[in-house]
Amino acid sequence: MEAALLQEISEKLQRGKAKDVAALVTQALEQNISPETILNEGLVCGMNVIGDKFRQNEVFVPEVLVAARAMNAGLKILKPALSGAGIEPLGTAVICTVKGDMHDIGKNLVKMMIEGQGIACIDLGVDVDPQVIVDTVRDNDVQLVCLSALLTTTMYGQKEVIDALCTAGLRDKVRVMVGGAPITQEFADEIGADCYTLDAASAAREAKRLIAEMRA
Amino acid sequence: MSMTASERFARYLSGKEIDRMPIIEWAPWWHLTLGRWHAEGLPAECASVDDIQGYFGLDRCLQTGVSYFTPASPTVIPGSGIGCMEDEDDWERIRPTLFPDVRTLIPKEHFDWLRATHERGDTLHFFTVEGFFWYPRVLFGIENHLYSFYDYPELYKEMCEDYSDWLVELFDYVFSQFHFDFMSFAEDMSYNSGPMIGEACFDEFLAPFYRKVIPVIHKHGIPVFIDSDGDITMAVDWYAKVGADGMFPLERQAGVDVSTYLDKQPDMAFLGHFDKMCMKFGEAAMRAEFERILPSLQRGKVIASVDHQTPPDVSIVNYKIYVSLLQEYAARVTHKGGNITPCPVFAEQERSQA
Ligand code: B12
Repeated sequence: MEAALLQEISEKLQRGKAKDVAALVTQALEQNISPETILNEGLVCGMNVIGDKFRQNEVFVPEVLVAARAMNAGLKILKPALSGAGIEPLGTAVICTVKGDMHDIGKNLVKMMIEGQGIACIDLGVDVDPQVIVDTVRDNDVQLVCLSALLTTTMYGQKEVIDALCTAGLRDKVRVMVGGAPITQEFADEIGADCYTLDAASAAREAKRLIAEMRA
Repeated sequence: MSMTASERFARYLSGKEIDRMPIIEWAPWWHLTLGRWHAEGLPAECASVDDIQGYFGLDRCLQTGVSYFTPASPTVIPGSGIGCMEDEDDWERIRPTLFPDVRTLIPKEHFDWLRATHERGDTLHFFTVEGFFWYPRVLFGIENHLYSFYDYPELYKEMCEDYSDWLVELFDYVFSQFHFDFMSFAEDMSYNSGPMIGEACFDEFLAPFYRKVIPVIHKHGIPVFIDSDGDITMAVDWYAKVGADGMFPLERQAGVDVSTYLDKQPDMAFLGHFDKMCMKFGEAAMRAEFERILPSLQRGKVIASVDHQTPPDVSIVNYKIYVSLLQEYAARVTHKGGNITPCPVFAEQERSQA
């Protein structure tokens, strides 16, 4: 019974049915299923399936967006119960597209997928000055910085952020993850990033790992 | 064998004998790249695409485009990703401000200039409109557009229906005035990992409208190219099935390998594919890149060209080396014709003449 309901939450989420997900989460709470179970075995489970299918080109950007929207609809209902049970987000990530770069479709997908793992995200938008990122890291309990760059002219902006974090003495406070069309593992190594992934689903998985590392 | 730019292009796409490959850039230059080149000696008076192509010794390849907006339409800032509508009510309001009279869009002087430069024999002209992915994206804005396939499917189709009606009129009028060498639909519907939408979505939301307008363009004997960055390995098959003649720019950075496209879509032509990322490394790297694509060029209907805009990390010296290599390799592409399949539009022509 419980398993069937969680399965249904996951399936409706995968099909982007936000209203259904919200109703089913309410129902699950009424049936006294623990908020953490609903989160992990319903919502996060559904988002993981979508992420994997996205990586394999079985579903595409619109499907991920509507699934993430359904996830949020479910989370909205679940949040009070989660905090009531003392369940906090796994951690907090700051995400943005670097200075001079306006591309944000990929950044937004990465953000949604990371949120889909139960990680809170501070989204600073596009064309973000390194100093703004430094300030955000300093002023918040953040474990991860995610930087997107789509242009060869802006990719070194990721290095500038890493350098600015070093200068501000904050480099050890966070892990830095980079991505975007021109970014490669070699480039990530060259600029001293902690992690690079090709796609949003892998980014979410790595975010979870990096945050756990920082919290350990 | 002497031929005009137009003849060479049409013969190339028809799989007939040619003297050399066209030597073209179709994209205007990135302003940051031009800023650098002006500082490195590109004369200040070389400002238009036409001037710059002439300066570097490229065949001229010039774009004409029109917009479906009118002065009464809401303002949409290009590239902002912010649209001007959300739902049916907005569409009701905006719809009457769109789609100007097709006869008013291109001034007589422009048609005169098109004809004069065409007669000179050294210029290709292409006509561009937004495709059925790009156009709704402009109106909805980037994010809402991606949701619209689920939130407003009927509205999406209605918008495309109206647009395609207008395009049919536009093409019939414009192409009766001037015979463009090719036309392009701006789409940009792919990225490094593939298309942003899936095949079912393409079939439902884009294909019917392409199937409606491509025959109209073909009736005028004009080949249709789809312009989509990113990895189009899946999308090339979808555009082939709606009758497109070719695609560009075949972005190498996104992992495209044109030789596999020639295997699976032998009817299609391809333009671009020269990896812009290698240009900053100088002659040896660029020569190696030409060597990589030469076998595909020699199979026919592939025109080497920078796979989108030359990035600002390329010096003017390296760009000049690129052009001289392009000329050298273009001269090595001299088919005798015979076993190359023509693009759909020319195949149709051959069938109707037979
Ligand atoms: C759509 C698009 C645009 C749109 C952007 C709209 C928007 N709001 O985002 C518009 C039209 C505005 C645009 C503008 C320009 N663009 Co543009 N654009 C693209 C295009 C076609 C697709 C990008 C995209 O949306 N992808 C979809 C998402 C889902 O993919 P993604 O961003 O790659 O993200 C995935 C991964 O990379 C990863 N990821 C992304 N971010 C992160 C972050 C982290 C931390 C991690 C781990 C992973 C990760 O996960 C994502 C999902 O799996 C690309 C082509 C391409 N090959 O990418 C060109 C492209 C990036 N653009 C290009 C250019 C040149 C430009 C312009 C300079 C054009 C001009 N001359 O004006 C301007 C620059 C504007 C600016 N200052 O930023 C070039 C860049 C070339 C170069 N030398 O670097 C490209 C490659 C096109 C090409 N063929 O050359 N562009």
